[in-house]
Amino acid sequence: MRIELVHAGKRFGRVIALQDVSLELPSGSRTALIGPNGSGKSTLVRLLMGMLEGRGTALIDGLDTADDRAPLARRMAYMPQIAPRFAAPVRDVVHAIASVREIEIAAIERIAQELRLDLNGLWKRPFRALSGGQRQKVLAALTLASGAELFLLDEPTASMDPASRDAFFALVESLARSATILLSSHRLEEIRRLVDRVVALEDGAIVWQGAAEDYLAEKATAVIEVRVALESAAWLESRGFAPRSGGWWVKAVPAGERASELRTVVKHLNGELIDVTAKDIERLSVEERRR
Amino acid sequence: MSSSAPARLLRELRVVARLDLAEVRRSRWLLFCLLVHALLAAAFVLVGLRESSVIGFTGMGRALLSFSHALLFLLPLLALSATGQVVNSAREDGSLELLMSHPVRRGSYFVGVSLVRGAALILPLWIAMPAMAAIGALAFGQDVPWGFLARGLAVSTALLCCFVAIGLLLSTLVRNQAKALMLAILIWAAGVAFIDFGLVGVMLQYELPPSAVFALATINPVQCARLALLSAAQPELSTFGPVGFFLANKIGGSGLLALGLAWPLFLGLTAWVWSLSRFTRRDLV
Repeated sequence: MRIELVHAGKRFGRVIALQDVSLELPSGSRTALIGPNGSGKSTLVRLLMGMLEGRGTALIDGLDTADDRAPLARRMAYMPQIAPRFAAPVRDVVHAIASVREIEIAAIERIAQELRLDLNGLWKRPFRALSGGQRQKVLAALTLASGAELFLLDEPTASMDPASRDAFFALVESLARSATILLSSHRLEEIRRLVDRVVALEDGAIVWQGAAEDYLAEKATAVIEVRVALESAAWLESRGFAPRSGGWWVKAVPAGERASELRTVVKHLNGELIDVTAKDIERLSVEERRR
Repeated sequence: MSSSAPARLLRELRVVARLDLAEVRRSRWLLFCLLVHALLAAAFVLVGLRESSVIGFTGMGRALLSFSHALLFLLPLLALSATGQVVNSAREDGSLELLMSHPVRRGSYFVGVSLVRGAALILPLWIAMPAMAAIGALAFGQDVPWGFLARGLAVSTALLCCFVAIGLLLSTLVRNQAKALMLAILIWAAGVAFIDFGLVGVMLQYELPPSAVFALATINPVQCARLALLSAAQPELSTFGPVGFFLANKIGGSGLLALGLAWPLFLGLTAWVWSLSRFTRRDLV
């Protein structure tokens, strides 16, 4: 489904949540919305779901999202980061959504199984009594079983264990291969595995858009930790490393510079190096960057 | 697999009603209302079944009158508390956003929630009042005053519908749950305070023109329902109050009953249509 925003804006009283946003996402594109809290990500997603009345135009496949919400809702699926705490049993919640979406329970059960969740054992439990991870998996199963053409995903794997995350990414690949994906997330793994394009928002406006690879090279952070003999302290300090306990030194670098920095450190310290680790920070620290 | 428009509408209603009913059951509203009605009914049956006459009512009729009269003050509070936070809490906890991301029309959601909340309040009343009359007949050998039972049920139901709709309007208009609850209590207090006697006090205190006092009293649905309940009796100034006494003599018992049924229902319908319109046309979350 093709997404088109033309001078879209939204105010809540005096607060401008979204200002004059124009954006075009072709059918089948996979895009991440990135930005600090209050940057307008949720407002943009809600405009697309036809839940807010705003200025400008928000179109999906040429249909106005506010006027044609119900027919469009049938073709799109939304997965929130935090699942609401319905009091109804899991069976009722699943059957309710399956019923309005006209999807088969067996398909939902099958997907849940792949996400390592046995729905049969949970049918009678109140949905609110499930753990955060279980609730997210139920919603993921419902979302992926929907057969939607547009997926709006808000940190969809935030509460999942690593194996379930892998299963989720694989399921997206197999079930939503040609669908349009709009992901709202700061999680590196989700951005790397689900999208190829990034739109960065700040104060309700688009401040950057382009290839996900370029964005991550610039914005993602990696941490290099080295443990060395005491003699190398001055050199490490001069390169921006900070001391930690146990002879460890730590430095944060842009993820794109991780390999070259690591090479330089290893080459220089050579025989003095006792231990070294390097890893990407899992979440983009967008809020911190603003300050 | 696709289905016709009426089938889709019914399915949406069923889905919303089923999920909301679980919320009602979890919050124990149904049980709480039933318990309150049962306790009140038991108190009036045990204490109130005497042969002495109150404005023409004796025995079971008197107990039912006292019960209905007490309910007039209680039902608006129950209705406002049960409905004043329905939409705004669903907005806040994300359930409305999730549900409406699926092909469920806004109108279906609102109708479904209204039906469930209304039924959760009306059902206990429709169980308690006939049960009270039945217990009076079976355990105490009292005649069932069918006419008054029907009148009490009809008037109380109309009043409940009115305040259920006002509560839903509050929950739609006021996004903050605490504010909505505070306003609900204020509305209830106004409804209870601005009946005849309270107004006479205000009139004497501030020298308000009698026409304004009469207008205020007649637009208060609680006062209208009270007059409709009392309309079976001979009008007496001491029990009807000045406005009720004036109206009873002007439009008669049937007129009072019609007013007590029609005015709360009209107010309720207006509030409901207004809230439906707000819910379907403005920002959903």
